[in-house]
Amino acid sequence: MRKAGFLATAALVTALVAGQAAAEEIRVLNWQGYGTDEAWATEFFEAQTSITVVHDYFNSEQEMLTKLRTSPGAYDVVLINSAFTQQAADEGLIQAIDPSTISNFVDLAPGLRDAGEFKLAGNLYGVAWTWGLTSIAYDYTEVEPTGTINILWDPAYAGRVALRDDSVENIYIAALATGQNMNDPQDLDAIREKLRALKPQLRTYWASEDEWNKEFAADTFDVASYWSGSASRSAKTFGMPVGFLIPAEGAIAWLDGLSIAADAPNPEGAAQFIDFMVSAYHYMRWDTEVGAPASANAAVMNALPASAFNRQVLGNPAATANLQFMAPLSDEKRELFLEIWEETKAYYAE
Amino acid sequence: MNTHRILCRTGDGLGRVFLGLVLFFLYVPIAVLALMGFNDSMHYALPFEFSTRWYRDLAGNERLLTASLNSILLALANTAIATTLGTMAAFAFARYRFRGRSILQLLLFPPITIPWLIIGTSMLVLFFWTGIGRGLHAMLLGHVALSLPYVIIVVGARLASFGPELEEAAASLGATPLQSFIRVSVPVMAPGIVAASLFAFAVSFDQFVISYFLAAPGISVLPVEIFSAIRKGFTPEINAISTIMILVSATVFLIFARISKFGGDR
Amino acid sequence: MRVETRRRWAIFGLTGPAYLWLTITIFLPLSAMLYFSFQKKGPFGKHASEFTLKHYEAFFTKDYLQALTWRSLEMGFHVTLLCALIGFPAAYVLAKRIKGRWREALFLLVVLPFWSNALVRIFSWTIVLRPDGILDRAVHLVAPGLPPVDLTDSYTAIIIGLTHSYLPYMILTCYLSLQAIDDSVIEAARSLGARAHTILWRIILPLAIPGLAAGSVLIFVPVIGSFFEPKLLGGTQGAMIGTVIEEQFTVVSNWPLGGALSFILLAIVLLILAVSSPFLKQHMRSQ
Repeated sequence: MRKAGFLATAALVTALVAGQAAAEEIRVLNWQGYGTDEAWATEFFEAQTSITVVHDYFNSEQEMLTKLRTSPGAYDVVLINSAFTQQAADEGLIQAIDPSTISNFVDLAPGLRDAGEFKLAGNLYGVAWTWGLTSIAYDYTEVEPTGTINILWDPAYAGRVALRDDSVENIYIAALATGQNMNDPQDLDAIREKLRALKPQLRTYWASEDEWNKEFAADTFDVASYWSGSASRSAKTFGMPVGFLIPAEGAIAWLDGLSIAADAPNPEGAAQFIDFMVSAYHYMRWDTEVGAPASANAAVMNALPASAFNRQVLGNPAATANLQFMAPLSDEKRELFLEIWEETKAYYAE
Repeated sequence: MNTHRILCRTGDGLGRVFLGLVLFFLYVPIAVLALMGFNDSMHYALPFEFSTRWYRDLAGNERLLTASLNSILLALANTAIATTLGTMAAFAFARYRFRGRSILQLLLFPPITIPWLIIGTSMLVLFFWTGIGRGLHAMLLGHVALSLPYVIIVVGARLASFGPELEEAAASLGATPLQSFIRVSVPVMAPGIVAASLFAFAVSFDQFVISYFLAAPGISVLPVEIFSAIRKGFTPEINAISTIMILVSATVFLIFARISKFGGDR
Repeated sequence: MRVETRRRWAIFGLTGPAYLWLTITIFLPLSAMLYFSFQKKGPFGKHASEFTLKHYEAFFTKDYLQALTWRSLEMGFHVTLLCALIGFPAAYVLAKRIKGRWREALFLLVVLPFWSNALVRIFSWTIVLRPDGILDRAVHLVAPGLPPVDLTDSYTAIIIGLTHSYLPYMILTCYLSLQAIDDSVIEAARSLGARAHTILWRIILPLAIPGLAAGSVLIFVPVIGSFFEPKLLGGTQGAMIGTVIEEQFTVVSNWPLGGALSFILLAIVLLILAVSSPFLKQHMRSQ
């Protein structure tokens, strides 16, 4: 009797302890298929740290904000674009990060790592992770670009242009095309006219990389806005004849950072995961096996082979001189941009 | 024979052809959906090459399978609750005259009129504030609310075609209101109830906007998974699971139809 | 007195549970949303409550909102009309011309598409309608000389997709009404010498009005607020008031504007229903 009782207690205690040890997990909120949920990555991380990784996804930045606002304690790591980091910090949705907990922090390019958009009141709220460009992609078997953003308005490609259905992105493109500072355009009427002038050009909208690829493969369009990382994947992984252009007028640059939610259940685990994400190992595998945007980790970018898409496109100083990084937008500005774009879409549909 | 007979026969024939065409139209996407689940191409490219790889991939896709099971359970719970509550209300509207009846009937419109997006986000806000939170229980609350107007309207339409004479006759023969309800009203309403429960099941099964806002992190239902897949990358695994789900719900429907032997004996 | 009380209890007991559920899940949240539609900013972030009418004014001052609302109403009307023209005859054949086992089986077939997921159905339509898709290939089997058939990203595609999605509603409601019509009434009319079209117009249609009306409401109302079908099938032609409302939640956090536009849409729908209900009531009462 006694022995049985002792064994039972021992088993129970073991189970409890084992349960505790195995129960460590972190929850990650990100776009689906964007680096953090690669099977090999989560398996590697889990093997190294015994922390399980659980993912949830969003389909828009607004959705990301809504999820953070309405689910306290539900997430540990959140992907937040630098244009939104300060807003999230100001609302108390994310917590300050101690750079000393991120061992790979020193390898990050200072220009990106120390960007003001990741800071609020002197504290760091986001770790620079990936960056890339939104610019023009085209079918190089059909199109010979002349280096200007106005290729989108070229009548030779009437009905063969695709744009993302995104108000901010398209206002930025129109701002660049009319020679304005995209983050603070002064002449909105010029932008309105420029957008309306696209009506005969536009064949369709695209909303995701997958949709872009499918439409491209079906020969629906020849010229389109697109992201550099995705263009790299379409060209390399799917073998499509995709060329990427950084026009003389400039291109839109964006910077994504990883943040820790304000009431994260496992902030230490979160920091470990972020550290792994900005590591050279993760990026090398990600870009080589799948195709990725550019890394904020300057060391690993230099280690890329010269033929790598990111190296070729983004490593060219002349081209990257005219990049404008997306800055935070006030709610009013965002709503105004949306209004302009919706009005334009109504015009397209007339 | 006489021309009337011949006309009738032709009319019948034309009618059947028309119905056949309608069914063809209804099934074109379903057929494409099912077929593409057996097409080898990842990009839905023709020509057609038979393959079961997507079904094999699906077997290992825990996320999709769990989501599908959740969808079914949620839909069944929704059907039971919505049909019961809705039928009771529809009966009250049809058989009783009371002050406020018109207002109550008018109040059925907001759930159907307002885009599900608004209902979803406003539910999210209220549930957040009141601590109801998100998850399958929140989704159930939402789905039943969306199904109720359909149930009430469909059962109501059935009841509107039948006057209260049968129940009055039963009453005059000595039946209590409850007996009359069970023995007379329910059988009369039966086709409407079955139709309404089918609506309720479909509303829940098909619903993704409400589910999307009310889903808790990690726990999902099938339409939400499909929507995310459309964003990220759509492989024909989605076709495979959708085809399976159609077969599952067809079975549910058949069981329903057998049990109630509706539509046949008027 | 007791009968009256019992009657009151019966009404309360029958309608109570359903409406309690609706209160918690629809009316209370909508009231919250209504409150926000008069606020300057949405419910998140730290800011004081500020009453404003500007979101409602936006509808009256911004032309594109009115244009899109009108477009959405037209879309609703087109889809409802198509569903009625196709669905009513189909329901009639099913209810009156087919008997027994076949009727059950065909009914199952009609209702089954309900259970494929709407998103996947819509996506499947894009496969059917695109160039080198099923429709294109079918047309070229019959008439090889024609140019490629590409219906994607068009208003036509939206209408096809929506009609396809909502047709079963109309067939179902019309079927229920038609099935309830006593065959002996039709027989009697015929034996009195009534011609087919007289029977249709004077007897069948009036008795089927409840079904047609119910189907129309169930179709028109959700269609005018739809957003993902126009987006997926309509491409550049897909701008509707539903998409504008959705974007207030997914692109910006302008919940107040989204709420205001929704309530305006609701008001329009109620207006339409209020205007048409005397007409319908008259028909339903005349039996």
